[in-house]
Amino acid sequence: MTRESLLIATLVELADNLVDDYDVIDVLTVLTHRCVEAIDVDAAGVMLGSPSGELQFVASSSESMRVLELFQIQTDEGPCVDCYRDGLAITNHSISEADGRWPLFTPRALALGFRSVHSLPMRLRGRTIGALNLFRTHQGTLTEEDAGMVQGLADVATIAILQHRSSLDANVLNAQLNNALNSRIIIEQAKGMIRQATGCDMDEAFTRLRTHARNHNEGLTDLATRIVNRSALASDLDD
Amino acid sequence: MERLERESPQGFVLCDVAAEFMVLDGAGIALSSDGEDLMTLCTSNAVAGDLMNLEITLGEGPAVDACRGNAVQESDLARSVAPHWATYGPEAVALGARAVFGYPIQLGAANFGALSLFRASPGPLSAGQSSDGYLMASVLGRAILSRQGGGSPESLIEELAGSSMLDFRVHQAAGMIAVQGSMSVKDALVTLRAHAFALGCRLGELADRVVSMTTRYELETLRWIDEVES
Repeated sequence: MTRESLLIATLVELADNLVDDYDVIDVLTVLTHRCVEAIDVDAAGVMLGSPSGELQFVASSSESMRVLELFQIQTDEGPCVDCYRDGLAITNHSISEADGRWPLFTPRALALGFRSVHSLPMRLRGRTIGALNLFRTHQGTLTEEDAGMVQGLADVATIAILQHRSSLDANVLNAQLNNALNSRIIIEQAKGMIRQATGCDMDEAFTRLRTHARNHNEGLTDLATRIVNRSALASDLDD
Repeated sequence: MERLERESPQGFVLCDVAAEFMVLDGAGIALSSDGEDLMTLCTSNAVAGDLMNLEITLGEGPAVDACRGNAVQESDLARSVAPHWATYGPEAVALGARAVFGYPIQLGAANFGALSLFRASPGPLSAGQSSDGYLMASVLGRAILSRQGGGSPESLIEELAGSSMLDFRVHQAAGMIAVQGSMSVKDALVTLRAHAFALGCRLGELADRVVSMTTRYELETLRWIDEVES
């Protein structure tokens, strides 16, 4: 597949997913995977702002603990925080030891092998609701074409948050943001239970959760909720 | 809970703060176990207290709905078309409320209860009030967890200033402790919070050790085991 057709396929796939009662974390996870496939980046993630303005990780192309930690740091500091606060894209930012801009974030990112970062604001009617974060293991600039594409993907991520688009006032948006952020917490609680019950790693726990949800046509958050409430068994998921 | 009431007989001060902060006429906090069996923690004034009692008696209303996980708004209880609550509505109006709002107090799948607020006049919340409601509910979640974990007022301030509830490892660790201790995730969060207080370490640090399996909770003895030191 060419990159263009991959991007079109991604948009169609996501649009298709947004019709019914979809799981927002699952859709955003798909989006981050497609970012890595369609654009010259090595990892992608979405961070959302809570209604009260605290930035929290919600989806990533990698569930490895170390990558999640890189998003965790950005609760306090990093390109996502700046992008979210200012509502402005940060593109082609080289990560180097000499860079004193983010003293907590930079060494972690370097240790993971990342050399450049982009952060695109997720904007809706003048309000920034989060940021799409992209990492590359090499420096150099995105092509103009790719730069346009990543903002397009950030816009798709924004649309994915708005589950009831008919009445879009601030109250509805706040409720959607809160649901998305709380869904991610439920998923982390379920991952802990799966890890303890089966002895697998956290990223494997997420894969099991996602695979089982897909195999049984169940929402990721719904399944995670049932695991936490013990109406589904953490030790009994599809591999 | 008893501890809370003993320390603050006239009510949890955050309840008054919630009503003032949101610029509404009164607030109440209900605690619940798994979204059911509501119990009043505190209310900011007599009307708020009557409204909470009414809800608990009838089993319907903003806090009852919010305890099940979703925020709820009724901007005019006196409207006749499609009322949220057939019995609660008219009785709440008689008590002096025209608009009521409920926010869940939750940390992931752990439901601690709900914050309910009322206004004597009808009308929706402004955008700012709506955001503030979520912020209040988030603060209350941390405050209740901190108090249930035996934290001092000083530790509460530290808890509110920090971002440990946004730390994914805390929630992963709660899931692990829930299985290790055969308890609910809510109780696991309280257990973790209490142990971090006892150790004098940050919640995130303890969570890290649980996730990396260097610290675990032993169901048989109800004790924490540190693999490195033992």
